[in-house]
Amino acid sequence: MGRPKAGLAWHGSTFLYRTSALLGRAVDGPVVVVAAPGQTLPGLPDGVAVVQDPVEGLGPMQGVAAGLAAVADRAEIAFVCSTDMPFLHPAFVRRVLRGMDDTKADMLLPFARGFRQPLAAGYRTSLAGLITTLIGEGDLRPGMLFKHCEVVQFDDAQLLDDSALKRFDPELESVVNVNTPEDYATALGRRPPTVVVERFGALAGKDGHRPTEIEAATLGAAADAVGLTLDRHVVAAVNGDQVYRDAKLPLVTGDSVAFLSADAGG
Amino acid sequence: MEAYSLHMAPGGFFARALIVDVDGETATGMPFELDERVLRAYLGGVGLGTWLMHRLAPPRVDPLAPEAPLAFVFSSLVGTPLTTSAKFAVVAKSPLTGLLTDALASSQFAIAGKLTGHDAIVIRGRATQLSVLLIDAAGVRLEPAPELAGLPASEAETQARERFGRGWRTAAIGPAGERQVRYATISHDGRHAGRGGLGAVLGAKNIKAVLVRSGTKVSVADQAGVLAAAKDLRKRSFGPATAKYRELGTLANLLAFNAVSTLPTRNFTAATFEGAPKLAAEELHEMRGVARNSCASCSIGCEHIYSRKGGGSQRMEYENVFALGPLCGVSDPDDVFAASARCDELGLDTISAGGTIAWAMECVERGLIDEPWLRFGDGTALLRALDAIGDRSPGLGELLAQGSRAAAGIVGHGSIDFAPQVKGLELPGYEPRSLQSMALGLAVNARGADHNRSGAYEADLSGDVNRFAGGAAHVAAAIGTEDRAAVMDSMILCKFLRGVFEDPFTEWARLLSLVTGWDMDDGELRRAAQRIVRAKRAFNLREGATAADDTLPARMLTTPLELASGRTATLTADRLRSMITSYYVARGFDEAGRVITTDLPDLLLEA
Repeated sequence: MGRPKAGLAWHGSTFLYRTSALLGRAVDGPVVVVAAPGQTLPGLPDGVAVVQDPVEGLGPMQGVAAGLAAVADRAEIAFVCSTDMPFLHPAFVRRVLRGMDDTKADMLLPFARGFRQPLAAGYRTSLAGLITTLIGEGDLRPGMLFKHCEVVQFDDAQLLDDSALKRFDPELESVVNVNTPEDYATALGRRPPTVVVERFGALAGKDGHRPTEIEAATLGAAADAVGLTLDRHVVAAVNGDQVYRDAKLPLVTGDSVAFLSADAGG
Repeated sequence: MEAYSLHMAPGGFFARALIVDVDGETATGMPFELDERVLRAYLGGVGLGTWLMHRLAPPRVDPLAPEAPLAFVFSSLVGTPLTTSAKFAVVAKSPLTGLLTDALASSQFAIAGKLTGHDAIVIRGRATQLSVLLIDAAGVRLEPAPELAGLPASEAETQARERFGRGWRTAAIGPAGERQVRYATISHDGRHAGRGGLGAVLGAKNIKAVLVRSGTKVSVADQAGVLAAAKDLRKRSFGPATAKYRELGTLANLLAFNAVSTLPTRNFTAATFEGAPKLAAEELHEMRGVARNSCASCSIGCEHIYSRKGGGSQRMEYENVFALGPLCGVSDPDDVFAASARCDELGLDTISAGGTIAWAMECVERGLIDEPWLRFGDGTALLRALDAIGDRSPGLGELLAQGSRAAAGIVGHGSIDFAPQVKGLELPGYEPRSLQSMALGLAVNARGADHNRSGAYEADLSGDVNRFAGGAAHVAAAIGTEDRAAVMDSMILCKFLRGVFEDPFTEWARLLSLVTGWDMDDGELRRAAQRIVRAKRAFNLREGATAADDTLPARMLTTPLELASGRTATLTADRLRSMITSYYVARGFDEAGRVITTDLPDLLLEA
């Protein structure tokens, strides 16, 4: 690309912000970003931690090891991905993690769109030490783990054996990377995801509480589309779960956004 | 410096309460001087009422015994032009919880009661027959009123005015209060001091109504300053922070809460209700005639009154619709309107009535109560149950008149695990598993499960915390909202104004300074808030409460909640206990939740 991918803009956010915030939406545990030595990162969502990759130039598996080690005291399994995945869908993350739970494997490796996807995969956090050892022995390849631990591979059909993923990401575009300027131009040319918006209470206006489809890649864009501004009086719940005020929060296809008055109660 | 005078009342106060002793067919009034230190420490309203209960309620008194006091407590702001200030607190030991209860109401009773020349009116004793109590600047008298027996509070008010003349303002009980249903209310101009069974306390004294009439004036320290502040506050009360209350009223919560899986349904077995759209304010506004109304001295106008099929109208709030609708599985708005009206006529707290009936419906489903007609979703059954409670009819009515905790004690078979109550007070319409700051607030609150003394749901719905994973941030949020409520309920201002204050404690201190002449700052007010919270807990401890009472129903702590999104929300007993422990530490309580001895002198209980 010729420039750091983490800071590349995509529909009102950056690759890094979008990816880390989407992970935050998809998992219950911590989200960690691994930065290269001396790397300056663009802004991150609240609650996302940064750990430094201790050694430069050892490739992505070094970063994977650092990330797994950083969360090993709080989580047994982790979803690991690169930052340049603008179409990542939380349903893909959940599918992979559910596969980890179901198979009890050390690693769940998607074989999606014709390729192994070690940077969109599930790992047992206890693998951090093994990866570090293998790197120390000079093996830097992403496939190095396969001989040393139990790896379960899921093909497209297995991945899509999940109703939410099949519905919202049937082409498994979650694993699409942006590696070239052409890839980036293509990504920028994509329409924002289609989401359903509802406004409640005093925010609704006439008929506003009825569901409406709009295109929006972030919560702020969704608010704009219905004439609202997120502030101390206006918040939004995504898919009936967490409540947010973060205008940069990424949205994905199939999301349902409920705008609420923050002045709850009575 | 917290300067005070022992000889002159500060602005907005008379520095005295009136103790009314009812004995047989007479009543006598006796002034009870209030030291300015106490007024400044407790502010008025709920705070001052709590202090009065410490001083005047005999330890471990039966709440329905003649010697149990019932206090109507005003504040320095009552009678000023500050918007929403025509409020008063009713404070007593609750027959439902056995602990302190306090309820606020807004009406002209506040102004007339204060302008009898007292900061509080405390009633003790018992009349021989059903009577009304009249209080004005000239004194106190008791009048027999057997003709009011069985009347709804509103009709009793009307008849009392006709009998005693204009100028009197009334607080009255309905038939449920006369029959000492443990969650009976006291009504004023159609509004209720609702929670904790205050109507039963008045009913136990054989007093159908208290009438008050203005007879004096009260001055404020800085008249021009108060007027300017009132003008400013009124203007701000029309801003975005109150839009929800103005435009749709509190019922606006219903559809929004349903969307975020926090609308308690069928006795807390679910948090979304398929019938919610039919009961929603948005829908009712389209389908029904609607009128708005305001409490006395209020510029917000949150009351929304809907037309009923077949004639008539009914004021609807989120809490009564939640409790008599989704909580009982009832989705026909006319059934819910009728049930709300019935509660008003009987003088019943809608939250406790709905919660207790929802519990009974689940008991019927489980075969624990043999009343097969009492089914979730049946509006006719809901009305029949309310009538049985109001009548205290033998069997089901008598059972449910006790509230869900006591009723579960009688029914047994583990039914206490799903009785929707904390400390005996039924839960309001906020699902604790999906609002975990609120879960803590509900568990530790002195009044029991309560959304007005702890509004911690604000944090859960603010986007600032993970509402499904209670922790340190949730504890801080719960304490913050509890402190703000303690001040607002004592000074007294309506909580629907809370969003208009950018720097609440500083702004409230300034308002109090203008009225009283005290040089208050935010720090003093924060200390007052902490003192009031401590004083409430100290009273409950005196009455036998322990840390074991700070909890939630077992259902909340053992059964994960299915969310509309397909995820589950889980609140474990360990997580709740961890938050409670942190709450105790932050509040300065000991590990058993007790107020530590060195904090007791600050409560001025000997003053």
